[in-house]
Amino acid sequence: MKDRFSTYNQAQLTRREMLAGMSALAGLAAVGGISGVAKAQDVPLIRIYGVPTAALKDWAPMEKALGVRAELNGSSNDVGVFMRDVMGANMGDSADIFVFESGTEDILGPQGFYAPLDEAHSELTLWERTSDDWKRSAVVQDREGKQWGVPVIGNADSFGYFPEKLGLSPDSQEELSWSLMFEDEKTRGRVAYGNAYTYSMGVAALYLQAKGAATFSDIADLTPEEAKTVADFLIERKKAGQFRTLYGAFEEQIQLLTNGEVDVINCWEPAVREANLALGPDATRYAYTKEGYFKWGHGAYIAAQAADRDNLGAIYKVLNYFLSGEYRALQARDRGYAGPNMDLGVEYAEANGWNAEEVAALKATEAKVNKKFSKPYVSTTTPDNAGAMEEEWQRFLNA
Amino acid sequence: MQQIAGALQPATGGREGFLRALGARLADMNLAVTAILLTWFTLVIVPIVVLFAFSFFSTVQFRTVYEPTLDTWIGLFSSGRWEVTLRTLRIALTVTVIELLIAFPFALWLAKGCRSGTGRAVCLAMLTIPFFLDMSSRTIIWRAILGQSGLINTMLLGAGVVDTPVEWLLYSEVAVHFGMIVSLFPPMVMPIYLAINLIDDTLLEASNDLGASPWQTLSRVIIPLSLPGVIAGVVFCLGPALAAWVEPGMLGGGFVNLISNSIESAYSALRYPVVAALSAFVIVLLLALLGGMFLIARRFGDPSSSLSAIRG
Repeated sequence: MKDRFSTYNQAQLTRREMLAGMSALAGLAAVGGISGVAKAQDVPLIRIYGVPTAALKDWAPMEKALGVRAELNGSSNDVGVFMRDVMGANMGDSADIFVFESGTEDILGPQGFYAPLDEAHSELTLWERTSDDWKRSAVVQDREGKQWGVPVIGNADSFGYFPEKLGLSPDSQEELSWSLMFEDEKTRGRVAYGNAYTYSMGVAALYLQAKGAATFSDIADLTPEEAKTVADFLIERKKAGQFRTLYGAFEEQIQLLTNGEVDVINCWEPAVREANLALGPDATRYAYTKEGYFKWGHGAYIAAQAADRDNLGAIYKVLNYFLSGEYRALQARDRGYAGPNMDLGVEYAEANGWNAEEVAALKATEAKVNKKFSKPYVSTTTPDNAGAMEEEWQRFLNA
Repeated sequence: MQQIAGALQPATGGREGFLRALGARLADMNLAVTAILLTWFTLVIVPIVVLFAFSFFSTVQFRTVYEPTLDTWIGLFSSGRWEVTLRTLRIALTVTVIELLIAFPFALWLAKGCRSGTGRAVCLAMLTIPFFLDMSSRTIIWRAILGQSGLINTMLLGAGVVDTPVEWLLYSEVAVHFGMIVSLFPPMVMPIYLAINLIDDTLLEASNDLGASPWQTLSRVIIPLSLPGVIAGVVFCLGPALAAWVEPGMLGGGFVNLISNSIESAYSALRYPVVAALSAFVIVLLLALLGGMFLIARRFGDPSSSLSAIRG
């Protein structure tokens, strides 16, 4: 399975990690058993449990920079499975840091499974200069605004479209309206809409709110009445024939774009990239929008049990590393991720002699992030009203 | 079935008599059968009971609250979500009936009509090949064929039959029916073929000699004797059709919401009790259906003859 923003699939990464692990073992053997083990014990080891998307392809640069080793145990992308592991299986006894998509901190924080973030910790040197768009986002704060973690990666999702079919210039930076997705006559019957309430309901609410048709207290967590408003609107649009199809998987996003079955689709950014590989550069584009984005992000949180362990300093070093230019640049280059402090990533690449193309790509990502991240809204995997939202989404599907 | 009925009869003679009879019955029974039944019970029945029990709990913030409540069931009906079960049932039954209408003549031809051994071997091989391929891969191909810029529409447009691409070929109930009929054909054909194949040719000749018309031979000899195969085929077809997930997802374009899709959606919201309730509801529907079918089949002959091997 591919993850949202990566061009590698997990099997490839696992294989790569395994190969790296094997070569590391071979290295150890070459150095000689006993001295090798002794050396490994000198370097503090930080154990991370979370989605593999946060892992570097190779942790060696971090070990070199910090003198701390990291080991990431991949968790499921399913929030329920992840929460069960943390709550039921006491993962905090063995893991130092948890990494997951926005939402778990709302529940695991107040319930005492995550330790609060000490923003003034001496190792967290980059905290101060990290933009509020990232560090104060709902990805790392709970609903009361309490700080539980640091942002690791993220993106602002919108929709992919064919500029030519909509009569737009292929290099346009113009901000488009989500009406192309929901109401435009030009796109009627030519739209693919993601079939998941978590991914698709929020952007519809965002659009309704922006055009003044309704107001919502929290777009990421719609109350039963609000969810009904959104579902009613979507049912009306569905009956009007706006949607050609509701898609389910990442592979479908690519297929729908590549074979021209639709003109507009609310999809992940890599789908547009993949489609352009087949159709040619800028055949499809990922929209800048007027109203806002489905902003998502992964946060890194400290296991509550780790607060009493003696490696807290090393943990904060790793958290700080997630905010650093090196991590930013490596993640962007190797896996296409954006994240906080993109400018540091650009600096790092320039200072370390990356080629012009790589630096330009980083700069483009920085510009894109700056343009998008000031707009609403931050999604969550754990809305309080998940039940009501899911039920209303089913009503839309069944209508 | 008859064994159980037999074991239950002495119950009227008092509890002790019942237990003794049951004990005697069990002693008579083959140990292997008992072991299989026990394993079956542990692996299949117990989880279903647990599942059913789960539908009476609720989930609050990812933790299951073990306090009995009817909320899930009330919600299932008040929100109209149970309609997906009716839609699923309608589509599954339609597919099964169409499947039966195509598969029976084909199986009859394959078992009795096809005189070439090679031809039959090729047909049987063709029927088994789909089992070696992943369901999703088999289904996704149809999208390239049925889509607006797909093979069929390109041909229709090219031939001038239509001016604009035919939209309902894909992402519609028609497409879902089609996909299910294609994928569920082998499970329907195989048991019927085996049952008809077992019918002794001399029976057919005897029927003919006694002056029966071909239709009478079919309705009085072949159909009753092939009933166990037909029932097995219907079960093997109806079950997967009720649980269909790939076809509605890939060919229905999200517009054909069936029970499995609804369950998956509830799962994504971590509403395990809803998952449990929907699943339990389907199982109840399925049991009612099978019960009805069994009663109908009994009018034609002895459906339990398919169990005769066990009774041995």
